[in-house]
Amino acid sequence: MRKPADPVRRGLDVFVDAAPQPQRSGLRLLLALERRPRGRRLLGRAHAVDQLANGLVAMGRYEDPANAVPLGWDADAIAARGRALRREDGRL
Amino acid sequence: MSGRGRRREARVLDADVCVIGAGAGGAVAAAELAEGGMRVVVLEQGPRHDADRFSARPLEMLARLYRDGGQTTTLGSPPILLPLGRGLGGTTLVNSGTCFRTPAHVLARWRDEFGLEALADEDALDPCFARVERALSIGEVTPELAGGNAAIARRGAEALGWSHGFLKRNARGCIGSGVCAFGCPTSAKQHVGITYVPRAEAAGAQVIAGADVRRVLVERGQARGVEARLLDGGRLEVRAPAVVVAAGTVHTPLLLARSGLGRDSGQLGQNLALHPATGAFALMDELVDMAKGVPQSFYVDEFAAEGIMFEGVAGPPSYVAMSLPLSGRRHAAAMADYRRLAMFGLMVSDRSRGSVRSLAGRPVIRYDLLAEDVARFRAGLARMEELFRAAGAREVYLPLPHGVAPARARPRDLKLMAFHPLGTARADARPQHGVVDGDLRLHGVRGVHVADGSVVPSSLGVNPQLTIMALATRLAFGLLGRAVPRTEEEAHVLSD
Repeated sequence: MRKPADPVRRGLDVFVDAAPQPQRSGLRLLLALERRPRGRRLLGRAHAVDQLANGLVAMGRYEDPANAVPLGWDADAIAARGRALRREDGRL
Repeated sequence: MSGRGRRREARVLDADVCVIGAGAGGAVAAAELAEGGMRVVVLEQGPRHDADRFSARPLEMLARLYRDGGQTTTLGSPPILLPLGRGLGGTTLVNSGTCFRTPAHVLARWRDEFGLEALADEDALDPCFARVERALSIGEVTPELAGGNAAIARRGAEALGWSHGFLKRNARGCIGSGVCAFGCPTSAKQHVGITYVPRAEAAGAQVIAGADVRRVLVERGQARGVEARLLDGGRLEVRAPAVVVAAGTVHTPLLLARSGLGRDSGQLGQNLALHPATGAFALMDELVDMAKGVPQSFYVDEFAAEGIMFEGVAGPPSYVAMSLPLSGRRHAAAMADYRRLAMFGLMVSDRSRGSVRSLAGRPVIRYDLLAEDVARFRAGLARMEELFRAAGAREVYLPLPHGVAPARARPRDLKLMAFHPLGTARADARPQHGVVDGDLRLHGVRGVHVADGSVVPSSLGVNPQLTIMALATRLAFGLLGRAVPRTEEEAHVLSD
């Protein structure tokens, strides 16, 4: 049975799915390579592509509260505080 | 007749003006026209966003608030990421909120090079700017709200004696959530989706989200309305003797072209300016917490005359992780020090020009950086390093491959983004040189006007939203046949 995708991976997939073609296919390929040791070695030969793949995966990783909160960024708290203030002030 | 195969009847609406697009230009024009007593229909391709769903998570919000998930990219050397907002508010929903009036030297160029004496009349534009500034509560960011990231740049600029200041923004009740570009959770940013769009609706305008305009209808040189597709697959026809096209610099030329309009000069889709930009990072000894405060709150304009402008940029860890010009262990080490990272942006007032055309219904954006703009990036990056060093940076991470010095950077070494597409239906008094005239009316057609960044005939060197809104204000009052009120009192007297 296939393992369900973790939330980080799911978030990244939604982001990649929103990209227009042909970037979408290119990004999927990059992610597939970045997630495998041999793929990572291959990417390491091309600086710009390596940085893009690395950046994409890292973006997903640091969206995860488990990695972001220790760095001082609590997205849920910020969104909740914003919503509360908006309600208080009667803003749209 | 059976339902199968039968073409669904188009829903028909009648209006005095149909406005296409609810971004910086369209929303402003729609509100002013509706408040001026016109029957207005606004058609917006994107959705109506609910601020309750703004999560302060960049990855999620990019996919939701941006066209193509924020991954629209130019073709050329180098490829440039061109994120565009989508929905009521357009790009004002996701920009940093920075507001500059059109610089005087740019207006002079519009007069001299494009024959736009009336459009570029500073005195005549003044009430348009003032009116938008009042409507959007535009004011200067305070040092407290600007946060630690701005403090670093300020310290560097002061040490070097470079001209600098706090930026003006359209915000009210801002608490520095740090996610202007990903949906303001407090609705402090006064984007047009929560300011001008509600005003338009309150004045009776019909605002329809999810309406994809296929064609502007013109008969015998006179606007007749527009045809659109709705989300449910239905068709909509708006019959109107005046149409304001405000679909944005990338999509307006495509819409005009498929409507068979605006092509006589050969300029439609040409003259694309972008203000290409990049960002650099510095590792400081102190805690910066760059995302706490207004991300774009401070500027350094010492080199503006050379076409180089520095403006603040910052974001949460996931945004920084994507933007850091590092990989592998160096990336991980820098991210571990996220709280001590500072970031600043560099924007070039470009001389390079690109184009937009349609391929299978999608925009293909072509743009190559001229050698003189590459030189601006080289100079700008060297100065960015100087700025950070003067502020006491322990390390500086420039957006270049490891070991490449700014002076030796090639176009393909640059990691660029752009946020200000302009010029693809540019204004020029001469029909053979521009798509619209000085009143933003399509040359050779009655009743079709353009009110977005596409009419701006040159790079501005500063963020364009206020220019676009002021031009839309001028257009709306022109259509109403009234002068733009110079004061709030005058506006009240006129409306009474």
